Amino acid sequence: MYEERFDKRKFDELRSIEAESGIIANAKGSARFRIGNTEAIAAVYGPQDVKPKHFEKVDRGIIMCKYDMMPFSVPDRAKPGFDRRDMEISEVITNALNRAVILEELPRSMIDVRVYVSQADAGTRCASLCAASIACADAGLPMRDLVAAVAAGKIGDSICLDLTKEEEDFHEGGATDVPIGFLPSKNEIVLLQLDGKVSREDLKKIIEIGKVGASKIYEIEKMALKRRFLNESES
Amino acid sequence: MIHVKDHDIVTPGELLSDEGNGSHGTYLEGTKVFSKYFGVIRIEPKGVGVQPLTSVYEPMEGDEVVGQITEVGGKYWVVDINAPYYTRLDVRDMNIRIDTNELDKYLDIGDLVYVRVFKIYPNHSADVSMRGTRYAKLPGRTTAKIDIMKLPRLIGKEGTMINIIKTETNCDMLVGQNGIVWINGEDYNKALALAAVNLVEKEYYNPNLMDKIKELLKNVRGKV
Repeated sequence: MYEERFDKRKFDELRSIEAESGIIANAKGSARFRIGNTEAIAAVYGPQDVKPKHFEKVDRGIIMCKYDMMPFSVPDRAKPGFDRRDMEISEVITNALNRAVILEELPRSMIDVRVYVSQADAGTRCASLCAASIACADAGLPMRDLVAAVAAGKIGDSICLDLTKEEEDFHEGGATDVPIGFLPSKNEIVLLQLDGKVSREDLKKIIEIGKVGASKIYEIEKMALKRRFLNESES
Repeated sequence: MIHVKDHDIVTPGELLSDEGNGSHGTYLEGTKVFSKYFGVIRIEPKGVGVQPLTSVYEPMEGDEVVGQITEVGGKYWVVDINAPYYTRLDVRDMNIRIDTNELDKYLDIGDLVYVRVFKIYPNHSADVSMRGTRYAKLPGRTTAKIDIMKLPRLIGKEGTMINIIKTETNCDMLVGQNGIVWINGEDYNKALALAAVNLVEKEYYNPNLMDKIKELLKNVRGKV
């Protein structure tokens, strides 16, 4: 039974969120996204010529995404380098960004997206996707929409939004984790994974609560991009 | 109905209008117009457009650009002109007749050139030419990079901004349409000009940029 959350949040409440753009001077676009104790830093380079050359597509551009966890991001040291988990998450971020970025306008070119997780407390792939999409917009790429991503799930009997690591490891009754990537103004899901057991009805409820949470994150993402320019004009 | 005002800042995916009157930088879904870029709204008689805040240089025929030689081939040089595509300078497009055995005697890897884009191929690669009296190899190897959307800010109204930087630092400067700025002069002056260009790159949205540039150039000069 899970009646009150470990950090005293409501069941449909997000952790505190902080986002900013333009933090890396040498990248074309960059962003930092923090949700609770999870923090991701993303940098976008390009469009540039495709390397290796045989990846080139004549009618559209490609996104090369690399996700990595810093060694100090988790309690046990994360081994530096590209492992199987990093590979999977890079793939799902690439697939989500492929829907968001209008690649048909960038033929024969490559966009390099680097995402680093400096602190991990569950939901790193969602935080990384948010950071990557802010960075892509900051880099001036043509996009259909920003991607807002959040994890939702079922812990014991209750449906929760934005799980922490503590909740993911909840044993009594089992925990289900569903990361959701969402294009709010298009009402389109670009990332959906499921870890655990859940019934069809519950999954629908989880997706609904995830969409509501993602729409809140979307507003914060928009502010993260605009803030730099609004402050200057006011002062 | 148009949902935004002129000069508003919008993010990708924001709904701009319901009338299907989108201009550049927007896309259409039914009659709804959405923004495609993170940029500034421009409302024009023909519709609502978005000008992106940052962009990538896309070569156009007739552009005059500063480039750097990156490779010496059999009968051509490969030039980096800050575009995502391959660019070549053929020996036939030089003013002088050149012995193809010793191409690197004329232009070597790392040399800077001022060239004109004269041909774009369907695969987006470009050919550049040095024919004409305006184009030449540039001495020195100092360049500054600036986003092409910020170029009008660097040049200023009728060249006021760039002329101030030029006269205050005693540097020769050449602004290519691809966003590469060539700087030549004494080492100290070059560093100062570079700092000024970087300030424009960083604070291009500041309305008091001209004063800041003047302050930067005056203060550094006064201290030494």
